[in-house]
Amino acid sequence: MDPTLVLQGLVSGVLAAGLYALVSVGLALAIGVIGVINFAHGEFFMIGAFLAYQLFVSFGFDPLLSLIFVAPALFVIGAIVYRSTIRYVLEAPELNQMLLTFGLSIIFQNLALLIWGGDPRSISGVPYRSIGVQLGGISIGLVPLGSFVISLVLVLALYVGLARTRLGRAMRAVAQNRVGASLVGLEVDRIYLVAFALSALLAGIGGVMIAVIQSPTPTVGFAFTLKAFAIVVLAGLGNIRGILWASLAVAVSESMVATLVPNGDALRNAVFFAIIFIVLVGRAWRRA
Amino acid sequence: MMLRVQGLAKRFGGLVAVSDLDFEVTEGEIFAIIGPNGAGKTTTLNMISGLLTPSAGRIELAGRDITHANSAERCHAGLGRAFQVVQPFPEMTVEENVMVGALYGAPGTSNAVARRRAADALERSGLDALRDVPAEELTLLQEKRLEIARALATAPRVLLLDEVMAGLRPAEARLAVGLVREVRDQGVTVVFIEHVMPVVRDLADRVLVMDYGRPLALGSYAEVTADARVIEAYLGRDDEEDEA
Amino acid sequence: MRRALPDVLWTLALAIVAALAPTLLKAGFDQASVSYLSLASNAMSLGILALSWDLLARTGQLSLAHAAFYGAGAYAAAVLANATGVPIVLALPLGGLVAGLLALGLGSVTLRLKGIYFAIATLAFTEVLKAVVQELPTGLAGGAAGLNVPPLFRPHFVPGQMQRWEIAFQRNEAYFYVYAALLVLTIAVSIVVQRTRLRAAFTAVRTNEAVAAVMGVRPARAKLLAFVLSSALVGMLGALEAMRLGSVIPDGTFAISTTVFALVTPIFGGLYTTLGPILGAGVLSAVEETLKRTFAEGYLIGYGVVLVASILFMPRGLVGLATRLRRRRGGSGTPAAGDAEGPA
Ligand SMILES: Nc1ncnc2c1ncn2[C@@H]1O[C@H](COP(=O)(O)OP(=O)(O)OP(=O)(O)O)[C@@H](O)[C@H]1O
Ligand SMILES: [Mg+2]
Repeated sequence: MDPTLVLQGLVSGVLAAGLYALVSVGLALAIGVIGVINFAHGEFFMIGAFLAYQLFVSFGFDPLLSLIFVAPALFVIGAIVYRSTIRYVLEAPELNQMLLTFGLSIIFQNLALLIWGGDPRSISGVPYRSIGVQLGGISIGLVPLGSFVISLVLVLALYVGLARTRLGRAMRAVAQNRVGASLVGLEVDRIYLVAFALSALLAGIGGVMIAVIQSPTPTVGFAFTLKAFAIVVLAGLGNIRGILWASLAVAVSESMVATLVPNGDALRNAVFFAIIFIVLVGRAWRRA
Repeated sequence: MMLRVQGLAKRFGGLVAVSDLDFEVTEGEIFAIIGPNGAGKTTTLNMISGLLTPSAGRIELAGRDITHANSAERCHAGLGRAFQVVQPFPEMTVEENVMVGALYGAPGTSNAVARRRAADALERSGLDALRDVPAEELTLLQEKRLEIARALATAPRVLLLDEVMAGLRPAEARLAVGLVREVRDQGVTVVFIEHVMPVVRDLADRVLVMDYGRPLALGSYAEVTADARVIEAYLGRDDEEDEA
Repeated sequence: MRRALPDVLWTLALAIVAALAPTLLKAGFDQASVSYLSLASNAMSLGILALSWDLLARTGQLSLAHAAFYGAGAYAAAVLANATGVPIVLALPLGGLVAGLLALGLGSVTLRLKGIYFAIATLAFTEVLKAVVQELPTGLAGGAAGLNVPPLFRPHFVPGQMQRWEIAFQRNEAYFYVYAALLVLTIAVSIVVQRTRLRAAFTAVRTNEAVAAVMGVRPARAKLLAFVLSSALVGMLGALEAMRLGSVIPDGTFAISTTVFALVTPIFGGLYTTLGPILGAGVLSAVEETLKRTFAEGYLIGYGVVLVASILFMPRGLVGLATRLRRRRGGSGTPAAGDAEGPA
């Protein structure tokens, strides 16, 4: 086996893990803090991607610049979605939350299809899209590297924020004990709102990155929803550090298969989900 | 010997909830387990009914080793269980709850037999009038009765009762005591956990006292209540007043 | 067990309506009926999908693998038709058998997974199965391009005496009856589950598995039985659809949207009942068709709005809503806990 190829697969995998972690951490916030099974999470990601695309096409905004607009926009969208729908199913069975968020997902996806059509869109004009560094036979794209760094910074910021800030501690308090937290006077509803909006914001930022890395269509979100769910569940609900490891594990495996196995690109998804399946089933049988 | 427990132990991480527990219950006996809160009584029943895997030890039911059997197999072998923390199936009516035990408690039960057994269990536990009420609408006392009815409906040879009398008024408790005697008189062995001492005195043939997961004393009610260690365990700490 | 009787009456009525529909339509033996027949088959397909998923959900297993068993049945039919010379009719039971066996395998390894963990594991299974099918030798399963599947019916065309649309009519009418038969079978299985002791076992396992086991129910058995029944039915549906649509292809046949519709419909109609999923399928099909005719583009937005609104205003689905209205009109009875609190 060609060692540079192995190294290349490893590096690409590590870089891709950042985006996975970013999107998953947002979902973990929704599941962990609010306790809502959100199958529309990937749609926030998709909206982020297409807002960035639109800002680029209409005004020539660089994706980095558009983050300044996209992030708050997603925060607001998340807040609106929470206020108008999510807060009414907080106590409802999981299945009701699933139906509601599937409905939201269908709405957003088809709105996007109506506006942007079904063809892949990309921010191809960004000058640095094709810039890369060559390091001993390995190529590292500037864009994947940048997205990795931004993702990592955001995930770590969230981690620190949850541990150190007043709001973060409040979020962890309601996550652990809803009744107790409302008794000590925390405004649970407000905290949920912020947590959900933040979760949408993190997904949206991930979306901006995907618009530069790939050429997404309006259906890109659902695939990321499923992957994010898988990562969150693999990490164990409410475990942010676990998300980093889980993202790393699946992203590196995906990338290794894609680079090393002939025709392996088609197997990416299969590898991703095979790992999830084996780990979940294995863990359940070992525990018992 | 109807039920035999040997060297039973359970650890939760570092916490030793039960250890070195040995006891035997003979057929037709009413056997009480008492002890302060957290003594490991419920944990013991959970191991006997297969909800917890023991860290060590062995459990026999009517001469058969059931240590590694699952809950359903133990039920079919003749173990019935009423829970301390009531666990009705909330979406079902009272009758449907009891029917679960009646239909599945003993293999090979026909629908007709199950219906008769359920009706009998409902009547005995005084739930007749509530048979069509959804279980989620019951009061706590009614839920406790449902626990007993459901366990009875499985046609047990050994009935495990976990604090089913807690919170009953004296008159109700007398009815419950009568019910347990009646069940025993039909040949069922009863193992019950209870904090209400008059009930223990009236019912128990023998009493096992547990403290910190270990057996502290075993004997008749008079014997164990005269035991200095038991008195120390109960009087030395005052965490009982809300229950008694 | 109390509510079983109305269930039976309702489903019987529906089955009769379904069986009579083409006869009624025949009054209009015309070009328009061609598409009505196919719409009716689509609706029944959704009903089978939804009710078979509900069977499994009754044991508390929230499966996201329905598309996998649908696809397994479809591929079983396709491979059978392409690789052997046996009559295509056999594809139906074969699809059910393959899906049922596969469910036995998956169900056995996922027995200990609960809730969202079970859901994600079954989702992962679907994706892996899709990839496996795609990677099978092209000569066998057609790879990424899929396979053609011969139709179950070949209408006789008599040139000069028949118009072209009459071929489609004959074909759609024949399929209509097969879908109706499979729907009736699914309803029958569901009624059997609801009217026998299985209902007690399934409900007990769903609400509290550990306590159910202490009461003597064997949770593993109940869960596997539900898994196999549910999957065999949807496997047969997959085989039937493969024949009606004429081809299978990994990305379409194993599409996650099949799973989404399978679970959305019973929630919308009313979970854990026979009537709910069927009613849900009828109403959602009608809603979708109406929207499609009204708004050519983006009609699915309206569909999403209906789903969102339904959860907010009738959290227990159509059946729950009907029960509530009946109770309110009767004036007696207490509203069931957690029944509804919409954003009023
Ligand atoms: N699942 C568990 N995980 C960890 N610790 C447990 C678990 N179940 C019980 N314990 C601990 O084991 C000890 C014994 O508990 P157990 O419920 O058996 O007491 P008990 O004698 O029934 O008390 P009570 O009279 O209050 O019902 C307690 O310290 C309890 O906190
Ligand atoms: Mg206890």
